[in-house]
This record gives sequence, C-alpha cells and structure tokens, in this order.
Amino acid sequence: MSNYQAESPTHLAWKRLKKNKGAVVAMVVLLTMIVAAIAAPLITPFDPTTQVLEYSVKPAGFRGLIIYKINPSAPEVPSILAVRDYKLQGDSVHYHDPAGEAYVIARSALHGTTDSDFVGYPTFWLGTDRFGRDIFTRLIYGMRVSLSVGLISESIALLIGVVLGAIAGYYRGRVDDGIMWLVNVVWSFPTILLVVAFSVLLGKGYWQTFVAIGISSWVDIARIVRGQFFTIREQEYIEATRALGFGTFRTMFRHMLLNAIGPIIVLSSAGFATAIIAEASLSFIGLGVQPPTPSWGQMIKDGYGYIALGTNWGMTLFPSIAMALGVLVLNVFGDGLRDAFDPKTSQR
Amino acid sequence: MISYVMRKVLYTLLVLVGVVLVTFFIRPPGDPARVLLGQRADSASVAALREQLGLDKPLYHQVGTYMLNLTKGDLGRSIASQRPVSETIMERLPATALLAITSITIATVLGIFIGVIAAWRPNTWVDSTMMSVSLLGISLPAFVVGLLMVLLFGVVLEWFPISGYVDKGPEYLVLPMITLAIRPLAIIARVTRSSMLEVLGQDYVRTARAKGLSTQAVFLKHALRNALNPVVTTVSAWFAGLLAGTYFIEFIFNWPGIGLAAFNAIEKLDYPMIQGTVLFTAIIFVGVNTIADILYGYIDPKVRVS
Repeated sequence: MSNYQAESPTHLAWKRLKKNKGAVVAMVVLLTMIVAAIAAPLITPFDPTTQVLEYSVKPAGFRGLIIYKINPSAPEVPSILAVRDYKLQGDSVHYHDPAGEAYVIARSALHGTTDSDFVGYPTFWLGTDRFGRDIFTRLIYGMRVSLSVGLISESIALLIGVVLGAIAGYYRGRVDDGIMWLVNVVWSFPTILLVVAFSVLLGKGYWQTFVAIGISSWVDIARIVRGQFFTIREQEYIEATRALGFGTFRTMFRHMLLNAIGPIIVLSSAGFATAIIAEASLSFIGLGVQPPTPSWGQMIKDGYGYIALGTNWGMTLFPSIAMALGVLVLNVFGDGLRDAFDPKTSQR
Repeated sequence: MISYVMRKVLYTLLVLVGVVLVTFFIRPPGDPARVLLGQRADSASVAALREQLGLDKPLYHQVGTYMLNLTKGDLGRSIASQRPVSETIMERLPATALLAITSITIATVLGIFIGVIAAWRPNTWVDSTMMSVSLLGISLPAFVVGLLMVLLFGVVLEWFPISGYVDKGPEYLVLPMITLAIRPLAIIARVTRSSMLEVLGQDYVRTARAKGLSTQAVFLKHALRNALNPVVTTVSAWFAGLLAGTYFIEFIFNWPGIGLAAFNAIEKLDYPMIQGTVLFTAIIFVGVNTIADILYGYIDPKVRVS
C-alpha cells in the first residue's frame, strides 16, 4: 500500500494560490480590512456620527482639545465639545470654546468620574469632515458597509444565479430558452444603471441597496453555471447518479454544483468588488445607504464640493484611496483564484 | 446568412419587450403620485397627478399604453419640465455621443498599443508596470477617477477646465474624455496582451518566424490580426458600458448630456425621465451588441450555425 492521498481540485487550487505572492499579499490586506471593520470600536476612540462642529474641515493630523459631555438620549455615545482651555472648580467646569466665549457646565453633566476622564486631546489622523467628524473613524466604519454590501449582495446574486443557471443547464430546451431570455433582458442594461433603477423602485436605505445590487448582478453567474452544467451533464458520473436512483435535486446541487465550484468562486470575488463599487456609486448620487451611516461613496460626495475650492482634499482623497485599495486587492485576489483554479489561463 | 440575421433580429426584439417591461416598473415605491408630491399634499392634487400620469388605470392598461406610445417614439413627459422625454434625449444626445465616441477611440488605440508592447516583452518591467497600472485602472470606479482628475489636472496643476461643455472650447473635452477612457483602456490593454500571448504561441507564428520574417512583421501582420478578435468583442461590450459610465462623468464635469439629465431626474424622482434615459441606453446597448453578433456571423461562419 502506498500512502498516496488523492487531492481534491479545491485543495490543489489552494496550494497554487499560496505560491502566488500577489494573491497572498492581497489576501492578507483583505483579512486585515475585515478584522478592522469588525473591531472598529477598538481601533478608533470616536463614534462615526458624533459631530464637533468647531473642528470641521480640519486637515490630516489635526489635534484638538475636547471635553466629553453626557448625551442624555444615548448615554453610551458622549457628545463632544471643542474647547480652547478648561478649569475644574468644585462641581463645575469653566471652559472657553475655540472662538473665545466663556462657558460653565456642571461636572455631573460630563462624562466619567475622575478629574481627567472628561477631557481628551486626540489626533484626527486623516482630518475631519464638514461636520467635524473624524474621517479615519468614518473610513473604518464605512468599510463595514462596503464589506457587508459585497457579502450580502453577492450572496443574493449567487443564490439567483446558481439556481437559474443550474436549472437552465440541466433541463435545457424550453426552460433554458425562458431563463436565457431573462438573462438577456437583464444583460441588456448596464449593471450600474440597473442598480440605480432598482434603487428608485425599492427606495433608499440599507437593505434596499443590498437587494438592488444583488438582483442586478446575477447574470454572469447564471451564464457560467449554465455552461458548466451543459458539459457536466454529459459526464459519466452524472449518469451514475441516475443509475443509482438519486433525485434530480441531489444530482444537481450536490454532484454537479460541486464540480462547477471553481469558476463560481472566481466570479464571486469579482462580483464582490463590483458590488462595492456599485454601492459607492449609489451613495455618491444620493441613493443607497443613507446618512448618518458612513459609507465611502457618501464621504467622497461630501468632500467633492471642497475639491473645487482647493481646500481639504483629504475628504475626497482618503475614501477614494480606501475604495481603490479594497477593490484592487479583491481584483488581485480574484486573478490569483482564477489562475489557481485554472492553471491553463494563467498568464505566462 | 439571411436567416441568421433574421433570427438574431427577431430574438433581439423579443429581448427588447422584456427590457421595456423592466423599464416600465422603474418608478418610486408605493404610490408614485404621493411620493412625488410629498406627505402633506392634499388628496385632490395627488388624484390629479395620478390621473395625469395614467396611474389611475389598471396595471395592464398602463403597460399597454406605455408600449403603444413607445412604438410611436413617445417616451412620456418629464414631470419636472413637462417636456417630452424624447425631446430632451435627442437634444442631449450629441454631447453624450461626442464624449463616448472620442473616449472609446482613444481607449481602443492606446489599449491595443499598450497591450502589444506588453506582449512584446512579457514578464519584463515594461510588461509588469503596464499591467499593474492597468489593474489600478480597472479597480477605480469612474467617478473616483473623475474626482482625482479634477483634483490633479484641474485644481493642482490647473491645466484643464473642470466644468463645462466644448462650446466654450475644445479643452473642456480633455478631462471627461480621459476619465471615461481609463477603464476600457485598461481592460482592452489586458485583453490584447493575453490574446497576443496566446497567438504568439501558435504554430503559424513559429512558421512565420522560421521563414525569417522580422519580429515587426510577425507581430503586426501575423499575430496582431489574429489576436484582435477578442479585442473587438471587448470594445463592443465596453462601448455600451461606457454609456453607463457617462452618467457619472457628466455629473462630475457638468457635461450637458443624457447622463446629466438622468442624474437630475433621479434627484427629483422624475421617473418618466429616468425610464426614458435608462431605456434609451439599454436600446443602444442591445443594438450595438446585436450588430456585433451579426458581424461575427459574417466574419466567422461557425457562429451562424450555433
């Protein structure tokens, strides 16, 4: 007995992927982004929606003295007051705002219990936007939106695409004609226009955006799955499943689908990137995820007005870079996946 | 050949029926008249608008009327301006066409050039630099590229104007055109490169080399001509995609084309206008692809029978 062990195509692909330096780097960046998005509150001291109007439109690296005030409507998220200086006297705090006006506030209205709990001198690493919100914080929280759009919209697209593609490829004939007609109809609209159209139809908001993108981007997947099923259906092992008396459902979704998984994975990673771009584009034109939830497209739009003025480019530049980086690593990773699953197409 | 063309055209018409159906349903959720007038509007004016838009009729009646009007070239009236949608589209078509055609031309010429250069010296720094830059080009959405263009060439370097139409001077075309060209350029370059590499590995290229032809002749006469097929597919697919790209570019550069009209309509939820522009874009998209299909059938007889 030799101890030869058969390796699945997926395992072989994984081994090839590990050898591709670009893809590995992309994967590391991607994982870092995912971790950062999940652990956002641990990375940044700010809340993405808290406004400090006195510190609006500040450049990257700005530091400012602030005191935290208890926000009665949301105790866990303190309001922030910008101050020039402050003095604790007995039960009250005397401070000057950046304009030089003097104010007095009760200590009990401020955050924390010790003397220093309520003040901070934080650095706004990437500056602030027009409401004095920290851009770095909003980028990290915006990443949550982008990544969940990628994940959820792509899942919706996968579900529709795989089911329709599988049915068309398995049953062929009239069924195939009908599904292909639908595919061609959806195919006739540029994806981003279809997303815009569905957004008008479904209304603005978080879930509406996910659904609009999902139901606009399944055609590629359906086409690939259909093509794969066309060839797989002729294979002997499918004949074997019939001989064994397996049901159609089991044959389609356990035996045929698993053998078509490579191209589906590759397309999904491309679709993930497209979904992120689609969400940003939607937010940019005012549809999509609505304020105050931070999203990259919205941030770019907010900063857009300041570009022509020639002030504070960071408001547009940083979210643009974040998005370019995200989409770039997804594309590099997707290319790596494609080469790993199908070494024939790998570019020499 | 004639039956092939007939089949193609008939099928395209069938697809267009579906396209029109999808377009018909692009309207604000719930009662469009109520959404357009706001919650505080009195019920009489909502009812009046509903009647004006034909929303008081049953759905099948609305669909029927919509399709019937379409066959007469009537896309309805804009709610905001009360002008026929088709009139606005025709008025704005030249601006969009100018932008799209110049962009795709630049993208095709430069893209093929870059792809051939990269394939000439595969896996050298020339190749990898070009391919990395093109990957960046693919990764950036059009509106981000546009904003970066405005920032760099408009605000920092002050080389080109950032907002307006060519009636003020040809320099107004430069930034929107480059912005729109970047993505298709990157993709055309990549497709050309990989297609060239494939063709260069073929026996007939080796034969051409073996019989002593210069590298230049092998590349341009034998390899490139055969490598262009997938490139043509990409160009025709991207020309259509480009039309969608113009929506964002026109907004950023304040270019008075169909995209800008659609954009303004989206802000006001002026849905007949949104329907009209989306439908128009889709029809161009389908038209370009059908013509490309027919051309393939003409060039390659194998396609006709499949």
